[in-house]
Amino acid sequence: MSSRALRLLALSIAIGCTGWAHARVPHTTRADRGVDFVPSPRAAQAAAFGFDALVADYHWLQAIQVAGGQEMVDETAAIQLGKLVDVVTTLNPHVDHPYRFAALWLTHSPELVREGNRLLERGIAVHPEDWRNRFYLGFNHFFYLGEYDEAAQALEIAMQRPGSPAYLPRLVARLKSHRRNLDVAETFLREMLAGASDEDAAAHIQSSLDEIEIERKARLLDKARRVYRRRTGREIGDVAELARGEDRVLEKIPSPEPDAIPASLRRGSVWRIDPETKRFVSSYLGSRYEVHYSSWDRARLERWRTADAVDAPDDETVLEDRVEDEEVGPRGG
Amino acid sequence: MSSIRRIHALAVNTVREAIRNKLLYALLGFGILMIASGVLLASLSYVEVDEILQDVGLGAIRFFGSGIAIFVGIGLIHNEVDRRTIFTILSKPVSRAEFLVGKWAGLTITVWLQLLLMGVAFVVVSMGAEATLRPEHALAIAMIGLELMVLVAIATFFSAFTTPMLAGLFSVGLWLIGHLSRDFYALGQQAEDESVSRAASALFRVMPDLEVFNKTLEAVHGLPIPLAEVGMAGMYALGYTVSTLMLGAMIFARRDFK
Repeated sequence: MSSRALRLLALSIAIGCTGWAHARVPHTTRADRGVDFVPSPRAAQAAAFGFDALVADYHWLQAIQVAGGQEMVDETAAIQLGKLVDVVTTLNPHVDHPYRFAALWLTHSPELVREGNRLLERGIAVHPEDWRNRFYLGFNHFFYLGEYDEAAQALEIAMQRPGSPAYLPRLVARLKSHRRNLDVAETFLREMLAGASDEDAAAHIQSSLDEIEIERKARLLDKARRVYRRRTGREIGDVAELARGEDRVLEKIPSPEPDAIPASLRRGSVWRIDPETKRFVSSYLGSRYEVHYSSWDRARLERWRTADAVDAPDDETVLEDRVEDEEVGPRGG
Repeated sequence: MSSIRRIHALAVNTVREAIRNKLLYALLGFGILMIASGVLLASLSYVEVDEILQDVGLGAIRFFGSGIAIFVGIGLIHNEVDRRTIFTILSKPVSRAEFLVGKWAGLTITVWLQLLLMGVAFVVVSMGAEATLRPEHALAIAMIGLELMVLVAIATFFSAFTTPMLAGLFSVGLWLIGHLSRDFYALGQQAEDESVSRAASALFRVMPDLEVFNKTLEAVHGLPIPLAEVGMAGMYALGYTVSTLMLGAMIFARRDFK
């Protein structure tokens, strides 16, 4: 065998051995190493030596890898994502999407949602004119934390920003009413109606005002039902019982449709008792005027609330107190 | 022959010499390759694509520009001493200070030429990727030019009295410190001991503050770069360069080449 052939053989063996050994070395990426290997934002800033934007981009690509490399982002991965985005937004606060990217994934616990909110607030400080960060913040407040006042506050500013969706004012009104504070929601919508620029927007706001009117009537029925129960010691069989017979508590049952609606547009709606929630519902709307959750989300919200606020007053207690303060309206019996 | 003409002659000679340096082309080649690789890196993200592309491009320009400034600069004087050509030059009516300034001017022009080439590569890549180009990008690159001017002065300063190895280490060290000096200053101000905070303030005045010239974020995100700020940065760069070269000339005047 010639020396040239021997050299080629030796080279092939060397390359083969290298490949064989390399294939057996664990190929973990930095993103795979987990949360302990994400530097603190200050350390990353110090180590960037002026290449802050580049180091931020590097951590952003890692964050994408963490989210994209798994079928489902579990809590550990979400914590890692949050820390990576914290580094990204500390080094380069002018980035746009990463704030919302973090908020999208940090949803496993109230602490993580609050961390997402902290990042969103940082994004809002840098991009005050962008409605999207405020929208995500508002969404987190009401959907994950059940903080309706904070949600309404964030969304109310978001809806004034250019490009925000037309449905935001209605969502804000609904959030304001969720604390049973229909007057606040109505005042808010009436102000919106006064300033509505086009007919479509005005029609949307008017339909929200109609919903509030029907919700007000439904709450009156709720109250009347409690009074009926207290007086008679029994539950009503149907809605009409509240204004019928010796034990009636109302002069008449309010219309399940908006009062101002023209006769030609009336749908012949009725009040019914929802078999699942046992609450009064007008068939005109089909549901009560409130923020709706799936049963899974409602259970999650209750679970978080119980774990989160041991000493804080229970939301339902607060709601009940407010209902007691409301006017009952005409009394019968 | 006036001093300016002598410095001009030395600078032109230094440019001729520097553009024959293979290290310069290696660094320039890597710089342009890195700028182009921004397209690949940016494609890994589904958002902020233009921003990543331009972060990488401007980062590469600064990194490789600094590399050229430091690693070509540190050998400026040493090569002349090593080849004994310095005796020929200094035997003519050329002062040591003029020699040093001529060397600095020549390398600064060379580095700016490289910067221009990398800037063109940045524009071509950005246009190819349909990324937005704004006047702020030109300002950011011009600011990098100011940083490189200061770096060449620092490399020339160390080159005036020490070996290329040590000059390289000192220059790289100062470059790194130059990007951290604001953090050191802020840390020093938080110290309870007043002497520490005073020392931190004094160091902050002496050490270069290279973050003055870092306008990458502003350029990439379309934020305004006030012209007054550019003007002050230019004055700072000029002041720091002149001070460093004067100090270097004072040391160089006492140096024994035997």
